[in-house]
Amino acid sequence: MSLPEPVTTMASPFRMDYTYVAGVGRSVFLRGLAERRLLARRCPGCAQVYLPPPEFCSRCLSELEAPFELDGLGAVSTFCVVNFPFPGQTIEPPYVVAYIQVHGAGTRLMHLVREVEPERVRIGMAVEPVWAPDDQLTTSLKSIQHFRPVRGADA
Amino acid sequence: MRDTAVVSYAQSPCLAANRRDDMADILLPVIRAAVDAVGIERDEIDFYASGSHDFFEGRTFAYIESLDAVGAWPPISESHVEMDAAWAFAEAWSWLQLGQGDIALVYGIGRGSLPQDLDQVMPAQLDPYFLAPLRPHRDAVAGLQACAAIDAGLTSEQHMAEIVSRCLASATENPYAQTSGQVSVHDLLAAPYVSSPLRKHDVSPPGDAAAVVVLAAGDAARRLTARPAWVRAVDHRMDTHYPGMRDLTSSGSTRIAAGRAADLAGFAAADVEVAELHTEYSHQEPLLAMALGLNGAEINPSGGPLAGRPATATGLVRIGEAARQILDGRAGRTLAHATNGPALQHNLVCLLEGAA
Repeated sequence: MSLPEPVTTMASPFRMDYTYVAGVGRSVFLRGLAERRLLARRCPGCAQVYLPPPEFCSRCLSELEAPFELDGLGAVSTFCVVNFPFPGQTIEPPYVVAYIQVHGAGTRLMHLVREVEPERVRIGMAVEPVWAPDDQLTTSLKSIQHFRPVRGADA
Repeated sequence: MRDTAVVSYAQSPCLAANRRDDMADILLPVIRAAVDAVGIERDEIDFYASGSHDFFEGRTFAYIESLDAVGAWPPISESHVEMDAAWAFAEAWSWLQLGQGDIALVYGIGRGSLPQDLDQVMPAQLDPYFLAPLRPHRDAVAGLQACAAIDAGLTSEQHMAEIVSRCLASATENPYAQTSGQVSVHDLLAAPYVSSPLRKHDVSPPGDAAAVVVLAAGDAARRLTARPAWVRAVDHRMDTHYPGMRDLTSSGSTRIAAGRAADLAGFAAADVEVAELHTEYSHQEPLLAMALGLNGAEINPSGGPLAGRPATATGLVRIGEAARQILDGRAGRTLAHATNGPALQHNLVCLLEGAA
């Protein structure tokens, strides 16, 4: 006589909806994106330049200085090639995810690098932002569609 | 046991919903207030402990954002509990007992307003096989407990309204309270039920706030403040996870924690002048007073959670308020109680004393 089959799984799906509060500092950055502006802020204590900037320097706890605009030109600081599919993925793999060292910023910005074969991407490559068309600009990093190599640059 | 005391306490106002500030922005001024009150620099703090919960934030490792208000560079010694920050306090107190440092900072940050519907979130704390699939709403288990407490003769709807009326009146003196006022018992009893026999006012209002406690050991505590609130005991005990396995009308875990705390402290809950209780619901006040064995102590002179419940900071606020009674010279012995989980599942008792 065999034992009854044990219950091995049960479905209990949760759905939870949240409000995201960006805070004062990050709101300045997000609003800038909707105007195609990359807004950075400098710490008066240690001169670190944050992009995106919070309200306070996380090292000195000083309030950051007034926002100023960067042109978005930068270099690939590090990158990886995403080769696998996963639920919710919006881009067909393979594609490149990179840390971008935007010139003038002390922190790195994570974004896509496209308009280039993944095998040609390398650390140090000069890149520039590709902004979304006017009707797609929003208070989100999606206002930058991706970064791409600077044409003619030999970085 | 190493003498360890609360030397400073600060909190931010309890708000129903703070839509302006991120976690670090809420916390930073509160840390500054607590640290400035005792005139220390942050490099004098040997250990940080904090409490918050991802389920209230809707992000994994959400508390990392709060470290931006701590200044975690150069690297610091730091720990976090995924629960009410009263348990971060317990960890920091234990850490100081080890003797590896003299000053610890404990913070709690709670943002009950970020979930758009707490009914979606609160069932996740329940037993995942038999209760969570039923998706009871946020106050359902407490309603069962209140009903049982009334049936057992521990309280009544009239008595519960009297507790709420008293707490809201006390809260008029508390600038950090979320809600307060002179409200008649008659008016309260005219309100509709939200989870019979609980009316809206019987449920502590969830919201957003941060609280910060500075703990110091021995001579450091004596150096930093005139009247340290010495932590004579901390103990916490947990009931079984499934509420149906418990007698909801008596909190055995609170009783055991109070007994153990009394053994450590050399005095008992019956000896304190003020008790700050983590009453998420009005009916829990008599239940806790009985389990603790309070004897005439003033309960929740701050207004208590019924005047504001910042998620995962509420228990630490109890400790801070109980300590403040001693720091300000208003009481000699006080008690703080904190809870986690549904219907008083997990309970912490802290006994504080003024004399060195």
